[in-house]
Amino acid sequence: MRILIAAVAVALPFSALAQDRGPILSDVVERHIIPGFASLADATGALTQAAQTDCSPNSPDLRAAYHTAFDDWISVSHLRFGPTEVDDRAFALAFWPDTKGFTPKALSGLISNEDAAVESPEEFAETSVAGRGFFALEQMLFDPKFSDQGNEGYRCALIRAITTDIDDNARAINADWGDYATALIQPGDNALYRSDDEALQELYKALVTGLEFTGDTRLGRPMGTFDRPRPNRAEARRSDRSLRHVELSLIALRDLSARLSVDHPEIADDLDSAFDKAIIRAQSLNDPALAGVATPRGRIRVEALQQAINDIRTIASTKLGPTLGINAGFNSLDGD
Amino acid sequence: MPSRRHFLAGLAATSLAPIRGWAAVGSPDYLAAALFPDGSYRLAGLDTGGDILFSLPLPARGHAAAAHPHWAQAVAFARRPGTFAVVIDCTTGTEITRLTAPEGRHFYGHGVFSPDGSRLFTTENDYEAADGVIGVWNTDDYTRMGEFPSGGVGPHDMRLMPDGQTLAIANGGIETHPETGRTKLNLPTMQPRLTYLDVSGTVLEQVELPRALHKNSIRHLAVRRDGLVAFAMQWQGDKAQHPPLLGLHRRGETLRLLSAPEAVQSTLQGYAGSVAFAGDGSTVAITCPRGNALHRFSVADGQLTGVFPLEDVCGLGPGPEGYFFTTGTGIVGELTSGPHISARPDCQWDNHLIPIRKPA
Repeated sequence: MRILIAAVAVALPFSALAQDRGPILSDVVERHIIPGFASLADATGALTQAAQTDCSPNSPDLRAAYHTAFDDWISVSHLRFGPTEVDDRAFALAFWPDTKGFTPKALSGLISNEDAAVESPEEFAETSVAGRGFFALEQMLFDPKFSDQGNEGYRCALIRAITTDIDDNARAINADWGDYATALIQPGDNALYRSDDEALQELYKALVTGLEFTGDTRLGRPMGTFDRPRPNRAEARRSDRSLRHVELSLIALRDLSARLSVDHPEIADDLDSAFDKAIIRAQSLNDPALAGVATPRGRIRVEALQQAINDIRTIASTKLGPTLGINAGFNSLDGD
Repeated sequence: MPSRRHFLAGLAATSLAPIRGWAAVGSPDYLAAALFPDGSYRLAGLDTGGDILFSLPLPARGHAAAAHPHWAQAVAFARRPGTFAVVIDCTTGTEITRLTAPEGRHFYGHGVFSPDGSRLFTTENDYEAADGVIGVWNTDDYTRMGEFPSGGVGPHDMRLMPDGQTLAIANGGIETHPETGRTKLNLPTMQPRLTYLDVSGTVLEQVELPRALHKNSIRHLAVRRDGLVAFAMQWQGDKAQHPPLLGLHRRGETLRLLSAPEAVQSTLQGYAGSVAFAGDGSTVAITCPRGNALHRFSVADGQLTGVFPLEDVCGLGPGPEGYFFTTGTGIVGELTSGPHISARPDCQWDNHLIPIRKPA
């Protein structure tokens, strides 16, 4: 009988044996996810208040509240599952990349028609996701194109409607995480996650896709090609936040990766020093809107940052994933 | 590898030494791409017993292939966003030539030959415009003749309808750009379509899913002899929802969506990899590598007639008694009343199993 058990045991990935995922799941949910969304909901509440007090695009208080709330969103923007995906909430908070310029079109459409949807949060929530969220607000506050378009009173109402909608979405996500936390911490046969492994896989996927988005999209879009750099495609460049988003997302992902690798100190160390390198590179770039991609020298520095992020991705996929016993087949991972 | 000039010179001599047909390569029944144990990506010719009759190296990971209707030639396509497609002489195991996507285009991984074999059609991305196009190639020398719009964004699989004049195209709806890798750029606004075009590019019919399913990317196709089209989908929406991943459509009619009961459907993680009709056309099946299962349905009434657990199953094609399938764990198998393993070579079979149409 003992021989039989041993035979079964070797057939399993070694790491899958007797790993108790419960503490990791609870730790990530209680210390990484819940506080992040709670903080976002507080900040969007303050943003709505600021817009009610002073809706002028130049208002220092409104702009400060915008930056704080946007910081909080970027710090949770890798957690793209469950409550963020209900009713397209995450897209309504942050419609980017906007490859076809839907956001300025949506805003111009609302302003030129003086669309009455701005007077009712329910109606505004039915308008295009492209004209809502942080990126729509950014253009209203920072893009000269919208500083004198249409009627000033309407622009003010639109800014207030966007902030109220941001707050509604952030609060809805935060509220839904109450129940969703239970689903993630206590998987079961008829639950959303059928096993601890599936729940852990979701968190691992958030880490990997978060790194991918920051490296390939936040940096890759403005980089374009060597012959044709695209500085105007940098995320939130109008409010000089492009590099800040890279830095904030790396800081949040480092926290997640540390919690996921807590039982494997060597991998945790490797990941931590790789994150350190990338974050130091980001902090030393001194190029807030990533405009430097347009010059060869600036581009090389952004490339080096992208490479540092790719190095983290390699450690995550070759060391952390297999060690956590993440089962992903050749085809099931392909996504094609 | 023969040079292009060498190849063209060879063509001039075809009246003396005709290009050999499929029988010359031991009559493979299927083509499939795979990762081999030495780390090479190869295109293999398989028979129904699961024996590998030949295998030829590819420059990078493959996806699907197209088999020439008469000549023992196959075109293996790069996985998106690749820009290569390799034309292979399956009698000698050599590369005849290589197609390179034009500037501003990349391949999506699928293509079809015209019935006479004189043209090759390829699904491609015009990524600056974020529109799908169909490339048209002359198979005499594999030069590009032109292109036309695919009728949507993100065209993936494409099949020739039984009339030989109509292309069925799975416009998956997802916008990507090679500069941002495989990142999906337009999920909130995506609109997948099943598009029918004639071979000159005129849109004959556009089929869209109900609005609530606009995030269900139509990716892969199978066509029954009578023109019934089956399409497999990949859900990009909320994972708490478990929509159908298989649809059936006949030109001019409304589409039908097929699903397992919720408790079973929920295990598929919203992802179907391949679709095929059985050899006799009475059933249709999808492979679900994320759910590690193959689901089979009756075409007549749309009822689920079988759920077969198979790890990382993806490649699927018709067989005389049902289906043939391949898995990422190396299995080549046959599904009749249940699955049977025919062979398990030491390789990881990639997404698709491409039947070779044999001259009657």
